[in-house]
Amino acid sequence: MSGSNPPLPIVDACELDARYRQLLRPGELMPTRTGEVHRLPRFFYEVPSTAHAVNTQLTPHFGLWEFMEVDLHEPEPLRTYPRYVPCAVAALAAALEVLRVEIGTPIRIAANGGYRSPAHTASTSGSPHCWGTAANIYRIGSEYLDSEERIGRYSDVASRVLAGCWTRPYGHAVGFADDHLHIDLGYATVVPRQVSEDGPSEAGPHTAREHG
Amino acid sequence: MHSLGATLTNGALGVSVYDYLSGRHWRVNGDRWFHAASVMKIAVLAALFAAVERGRFTLDCRLHVRNRFLSMVDGAPFRVDAGRDGDADVHAAIGRTMRVRELATQMIVRSSNLATNLLLDLLTPSGVMDTLARVGVDGIDVCRGVEDDRAFEQGISNRVTPDGVVALLRAIVDGRFASTSASAEMIDILHDQQLTGTIEPGLPENVRTVARVAHKTGEISTVSHDAGIVFLPGRPPYVIAVLVESGGDARDRLDAGIAASSAAYACVSAAGEGVGR
Repeated sequence: MSGSNPPLPIVDACELDARYRQLLRPGELMPTRTGEVHRLPRFFYEVPSTAHAVNTQLTPHFGLWEFMEVDLHEPEPLRTYPRYVPCAVAALAAALEVLRVEIGTPIRIAANGGYRSPAHTASTSGSPHCWGTAANIYRIGSEYLDSEERIGRYSDVASRVLAGCWTRPYGHAVGFADDHLHIDLGYATVVPRQVSEDGPSEAGPHTAREHG
Repeated sequence: MHSLGATLTNGALGVSVYDYLSGRHWRVNGDRWFHAASVMKIAVLAALFAAVERGRFTLDCRLHVRNRFLSMVDGAPFRVDAGRDGDADVHAAIGRTMRVRELATQMIVRSSNLATNLLLDLLTPSGVMDTLARVGVDGIDVCRGVEDDRAFEQGISNRVTPDGVVALLRAIVDGRFASTSASAEMIDILHDQQLTGTIEPGLPENVRTVARVAHKTGEISTVSHDAGIVFLPGRPPYVIAVLVESGGDARDRLDAGIAASSAAYACVSAAGEGVGR
């Protein structure tokens, strides 16, 4: 993580105010559309301001802000600063950086297509977007990914260079995509160093903070 | 005004006019249903401001610009054709977000179909109709997004009557959808209209230079509509809807609409002269 701002603090969302806990639901099990359940992320980067979002580079070609653009379908508290993004977003950015280098042209992530909370209206079931491990790419270079040929072509590239990634097949029905390329790393979570996952910290709020 | 429709080939003219000064209401085919074309966007604007008034969101909230909508017939996805849309700015923002206020403005002043469908997705057609019902406006039937071709092929289209459009505009002027300041903002957006229509060209030249017309046009292959609020110096406004439908040339429809606007101004002007004497 680099940029003109200091590294972002990491917070244990279990220690945030109740209104954030109710929306982020840290550590809760969330069912997917197909019935599996996964535990939602608990550790988040705390982003104090727009300037921090814009000035924090996760990789040479991806800024943190690119994974944070949401619209009014995200509850208002999660649209205003400070904002919270799962720590796993750094792993997603690293994966996309590999794809970016392979393709050699800018990759654009759609609004609502990076991290979105389980309270977002699009989060009707557990999606890797709620883990910060999925990206909806709507444009690569000057090409809009709105055809089967384009989505398929870049999906093939992603599958070739990103071991373990999953891309959503082209199609119009639920579970398919026809106006973007969905790439995800699965339901990965990142736990910061020197933090125990067996319960809230006894030392009180913010003890999970460290500079990432 | 009745004879104006006779010049149209296989067509119909509908006019409704309400004058706030004299309190008089003139109408020709006032309760006839017409294909709404883009005049329905006034209803979307009013419902949007009503939703803001109720605290659902603010005009500064951002909305994802995505060109993907679902047909009201069978849920099949469809897109707004950028080549046929009146506004390139919203299409240029695909993938990103725009403020609700910007989308509302583009929907009206450039008649952006993409902005309209995005806002209609947010509000839903039934939500728009509920809002109209709450303020007692009928004669407006918003049931689907723009360019939902599957619905069109089944004969399902948004419809309006001249009286319905005038009732809608009066509800905006009267502040029945939102606060006075919000109503003024809606009127300002309508006033920033970039398309000409037929109301303003129908005014006498000396009046046209001082009139402020807040309006919305509607143009498809078979209709040429215009509806708006005409503000004249020193008097309250009048509200007018001129709806023209024909299978003939668009120029004929526009000429009929302009002539109807002229006739309406003559009625309003004559009625106003008697007020206060």
